[in-house]
Amino acid sequence: MDGGILDGIRVLDVASFIAAPAAGTVMADFGAEVIKVEPVGTGDPLRYSLRGPGYGQSPAHHEWFVDNRNKKGMALDLKSEAGRAVLYRLCETADVFITNMPQGPRERLHIRYEDIGPLNDRLIYASVSAYGEAGSEAARTGFDSTALWARSGMMDLIKPSPESPPSRSLPGMGDHPTAVSLFGGIMLALYRRMASGKGGHVSTSLMANGAWGNALSIQAVLSGGEVANRPARENASSAVNNFYQSKDGRWFHLIMITGQARFPELAAVLGRPEILDDVRFATEDARLENTKALIGELDIAFGRLNAAEVRDALNGAGFTFGETYPISDVGHDEQYRASGAFRRNNDPRGGAEYVVDTPIFIEGEDKAEPEMAPALGQHTDEILREAGYDAAEIAELRKWGAVG
Amino acid sequence: MGDSILDGIKVVELATYIAGPASGVVLADFGAEVIKVEPPNRPDPFRGGHLRGSDAPKSEYPYGYIIDNRNKKGIALDIKEPVGRAAFDKLVAGADVFITNMPIPTRERLNIGYDAIRVINERIVYASISAYGEKGPEAGRPGFDSTALWARTGLMDLVKPGPDSPPARSLPGMGDHPTAMSLFAAIMTGLFRRERTGEGSHVSTSLMANGVWWNGLLTQAMLCGGKVVCRPPRENASNPMHNLYQTRDGRWIHIIFNTNLHRWPEFAALIDRPELGDDPRFESQPARIENSALLIPILEQAFAERDFDEWVLLLDENRFTFGDIRKIDDILTDPQMFEGRVLRPIEEEAAGADYIVDTPIWVEDAKKIEPSMPPELGEHTEEVLRAIGYNDAGISELRDAGAIP
Repeated sequence: MDGGILDGIRVLDVASFIAAPAAGTVMADFGAEVIKVEPVGTGDPLRYSLRGPGYGQSPAHHEWFVDNRNKKGMALDLKSEAGRAVLYRLCETADVFITNMPQGPRERLHIRYEDIGPLNDRLIYASVSAYGEAGSEAARTGFDSTALWARSGMMDLIKPSPESPPSRSLPGMGDHPTAVSLFGGIMLALYRRMASGKGGHVSTSLMANGAWGNALSIQAVLSGGEVANRPARENASSAVNNFYQSKDGRWFHLIMITGQARFPELAAVLGRPEILDDVRFATEDARLENTKALIGELDIAFGRLNAAEVRDALNGAGFTFGETYPISDVGHDEQYRASGAFRRNNDPRGGAEYVVDTPIFIEGEDKAEPEMAPALGQHTDEILREAGYDAAEIAELRKWGAVG
Repeated sequence: MGDSILDGIKVVELATYIAGPASGVVLADFGAEVIKVEPPNRPDPFRGGHLRGSDAPKSEYPYGYIIDNRNKKGIALDIKEPVGRAAFDKLVAGADVFITNMPIPTRERLNIGYDAIRVINERIVYASISAYGEKGPEAGRPGFDSTALWARTGLMDLVKPGPDSPPARSLPGMGDHPTAMSLFAAIMTGLFRRERTGEGSHVSTSLMANGVWWNGLLTQAMLCGGKVVCRPPRENASNPMHNLYQTRDGRWIHIIFNTNLHRWPEFAALIDRPELGDDPRFESQPARIENSALLIPILEQAFAERDFDEWVLLLDENRFTFGDIRKIDDILTDPQMFEGRVLRPIEEEAAGADYIVDTPIWVEDAKKIEPSMPPELGEHTEEVLRAIGYNDAGISELRDAGAIP
């Protein structure tokens, strides 16, 4: 198929911020026509919200590009009857309706499943909520930092030591995987529709995705187990499965899961064979007994080498290790490009040669060429004309502020 | 069962650990028949993970294996034996989906790459997970979510309490489970495509691509020539009103006071510091940010005067936005986890729990299949073989060759 797997599928993205719109981005990648519907005048708050410290600064509109590229843009006032009538007319020919509005606004704007479903029984209504579509907190608003990260126990458990303050999640870090869950649900419903001819209501929530991410620890607790914070690295239970910092500040994760047997070799490649001369570290048993002191010795060893030296030493001897890559490395990490995690971008408005790709690949299917996300209301007229509105009707809608 | 969405879809899973098998669970939830293939002498190493507890909690119940292998059938089959391979080929010939997380060199050694499988069944959706992608210099390299997803993508370096803090390791399976959702979505896209075109395909995802996707906004900022820095530690936060504070009982509250700024005097009164309400040093958000170094210690003291539960109640009642950082044990008594359908009842004694963590998608008028225990190694070997045409003699032949236990 020339137009991609989802050629001919029309998606209304009546959503804001990240988790729901990003599901639309995945669909656009595979050839769907995605129409982003935004409030007249203001638009999606993502257009200007993530600009403060901690959010990453760039001369381009990077977050807008990642989550809304390859869409058409339409500005519509859903609070007005005329605006809502336009939306309802678009629903008649759409295949998928995506929203992340909380239940309150869904009700106020008359865009609940109960409102939208009857307009088109082939339509798939896909919703993201913070805490689920049911239960006492169903209407509550939330972000991935609260509903996914803080609520699931991940924020409390992922820290350098039990006494350490928690770490905040990064912007969009929980929204993006949630978007993929929603996309998976949409594809499931589209698959069903091929046989049944019927749409339906699919959903996911930030909280459920958080619990799914942390499922192993949660299930351990549910079956009566105990989950504790990991000790700080200086008190780690094993000296050879621990973090060490190189002279130039890079953190390495030494992972000798088979234990201490190869320690003499490790000490040698790190340039400190004399550790073995110390009675506290001469034998395997002694080393296990003196874990804390041994961590101190390895701190010295790693602290004398720069990152490249550590890497060469460990690789050369075939030791397994992890390395904490700073984000500034991504620019020259060949594997991102070669594997398709980054995709070539030829639209200068994107402000970069590459765009972070959606994490789903289908061999032999080219994804849609990246195109900058729409300006507010950029395609309003085009979409209205396609839906059968003539010039006079469009002018009338605009005069009353129902479209922008 | 006839009304399940994936009724009639057959999945052959040759996968281990978490990310691959978990995508099979999602398919099983919606009615697919998932057959897990394990070598008789080298079962999925994730079996028994609950007993080892090296990086994960120990338990007498196989809590992890339930999450990632429930509702499947299990066949123990040695595909390195020619007769075992013939049985495997028959299974594949009748399947709709094949899932593997084997590294590329292993796929080649076992002759289960896409090209080998497509020859047997050209309509199959071949779904693979790799650590670093299917292409490029590191395509064959093995890895876990802690390395390829968390450490490689800048997530581990940035998610920490301050720039000088040591990094924090990811939790077991934390990156694998969302990656499984990506693979599930890829499989559904492949099945949808097959309905349209009649053709099979090779769909894939990688741990690294998922990590980069999580960290997509900051990564794109870098790609756009921007700058990303680790946030300062909380005691030096640039905005004291978007910051973490510790309660009397040692818990943490994330204050997010960045809307309805006129409510500052109300907030000051709520934390028993009414005098701050008209203190000129803190009269506006810019002033509070400007005088962050003065305000943070005051708020630290104020929050240390009450316990976590009191703060949650007080802030909630007064409709302030905040994050309550929950402990994992809190989940057991969190009503929304149950009512919001995050946890689903399981009626299996052997599970050792009344609930399982559910897969995170729902289709309102489609019931998910009731959760059942994962198969024992080779539990359904004979049943699966008979279903693809083996009789007693054929099964004996496989057994004599050591291809099945």
